[in-house]
Amino acid sequence: MLRSDESQPRQETLDQYYVIDGDCHYMESFHDVAEYMEEPWKTKFENSNFDEKGAKQNLSSFFPFSTGDRQAHGKIEREHSSYPDDPETPERIREGMESIGVDETLLISHLILAGAGTTADDDRQSAFAKAYVEYMREEVLDPDDGIHGLAPIPYGDLEASMEILDRIEDEEAYVGACFVTAGATPPLGNRKYDPLYERCEELDLPAVFHTGGAGLDEYVRAGYQEMIETHTLGFLESNMSQIVSLVCQGVPEKFPDLDIVFMESGITYLPGLMTRLDEEYLKRPEEAPLLEKKPGEYITDFYYGTQPLEISAEAEYLEKCFDMVGTDSLMYASDYPHWDYGRPTTVADLPFLSEGEKKQILSENAKEMFDL
Amino acid sequence: MSDADLIEVKSEVEFEDGDRELVDVNGAEVGVLRVDGEFHAVRNRCLHDCGPIAEGAVGKKLVGEFVEPGKRVEKDYDDDEPIISCPWHGWSYDLETGEQLADDDIVLPTYDVVVEDGVVYVDGSSS
Ligand code: FES
Repeated sequence: MLRSDESQPRQETLDQYYVIDGDCHYMESFHDVAEYMEEPWKTKFENSNFDEKGAKQNLSSFFPFSTGDRQAHGKIEREHSSYPDDPETPERIREGMESIGVDETLLISHLILAGAGTTADDDRQSAFAKAYVEYMREEVLDPDDGIHGLAPIPYGDLEASMEILDRIEDEEAYVGACFVTAGATPPLGNRKYDPLYERCEELDLPAVFHTGGAGLDEYVRAGYQEMIETHTLGFLESNMSQIVSLVCQGVPEKFPDLDIVFMESGITYLPGLMTRLDEEYLKRPEEAPLLEKKPGEYITDFYYGTQPLEISAEAEYLEKCFDMVGTDSLMYASDYPHWDYGRPTTVADLPFLSEGEKKQILSENAKEMFDL
Repeated sequence: MSDADLIEVKSEVEFEDGDRELVDVNGAEVGVLRVDGEFHAVRNRCLHDCGPIAEGAVGKKLVGEFVEPGKRVEKDYDDDEPIISCPWHGWSYDLETGEQLADDDIVLPTYDVVVEDGVVYVDGSSS
């Protein structure tokens, strides 16, 4: 029988660092969350046949709702992600963390990422987000054991979003608020979202902007054929559009103490975006009158999750990108258990980082920013 | 190759199609597989992030052919090109040459497999 004695390769490297994972996904089930829903949603969800007839992730292999199968049609196998047939349970979180070499984690809802594609009403997402916050608080999060949560903000419904922020005000388990960047229309720099940022700032809760696959097939235009196209472009576009909107509309000037984080698009896109935006700003600063410095400088004030880190790029180029963004702005993120997750080795192996910089990225920046 | 370089895997009759075995070759873990009757041996350490590549799905290389402008690219699996994919993130390698399908500068070590007197061996000198 095939049984490797290298079940956790590079354990020595992983053991060398204390690691905080800025972006891990808890594969919650509709069943578990529905228990905490208010009516009429509780009954609706409970009666939606999630066991027998509910849409399953594996359906997407042949009739994709986002171009292709996440697990590349059978190539990728992953424990902790046979969703929804085998949703995650709280007992297994530590096991998942250990399997990739993580000591402390920040959990983000898996389903809310898909929920961002709900455009017909602003009700379902709110109902889900509120119940999710209760479910996770009650049954999953365990800050004493290093398992922290980010509360999903259904920003299309300001009232519900404010209710969630009020709800988590004194909840130690929640260390940030999560805004899914996919599908946010108008983009998140719009003044209508100001109250949410104001409240986050007041509560000292970082605003974590997380890209996602909702509506990926038609992220800007329909007609792409393969996931390599939509996943490459769509995840990037969702983050870039919100970064541009936040900066140009002056969110960092309006709320100077608000910590802003962007997750899940790697880092090489940032120098390109910064330089292009700066170039435009030099020609038309009157269109961003709140800015006190160049847009690129606000972009480097934000924090970024490293995943999926472009480790196969030329080291010199990657080093330049790290320099431009700043190692004080980067935090390790795994995106586990999603298909393109990265282990802490992605950071630990970078030849151009000092030991101190590796530690900063692998834990210290997150520890400080999320006050862990 | 000398006999000293041969690392025994198991008898050929017991090595059924689809079977996989791990052996130690000079301190390196090597996976030996039988696919469609043929034996293959690859280092069990993916060149991306050290995933257990020898445990991965075995498949065939998908090739596309441009037929004429405006027509769909014809896509099919090449029966003669078995590949193995890493279960961690899907990096795929040609089972015979070890070449990464997306970049042939990246080559997973492969080994010759020989059968002598009904016993399957990996040739430790062949990587
Ligand atoms: S470790 Fe093999 S694909 Fe990542």
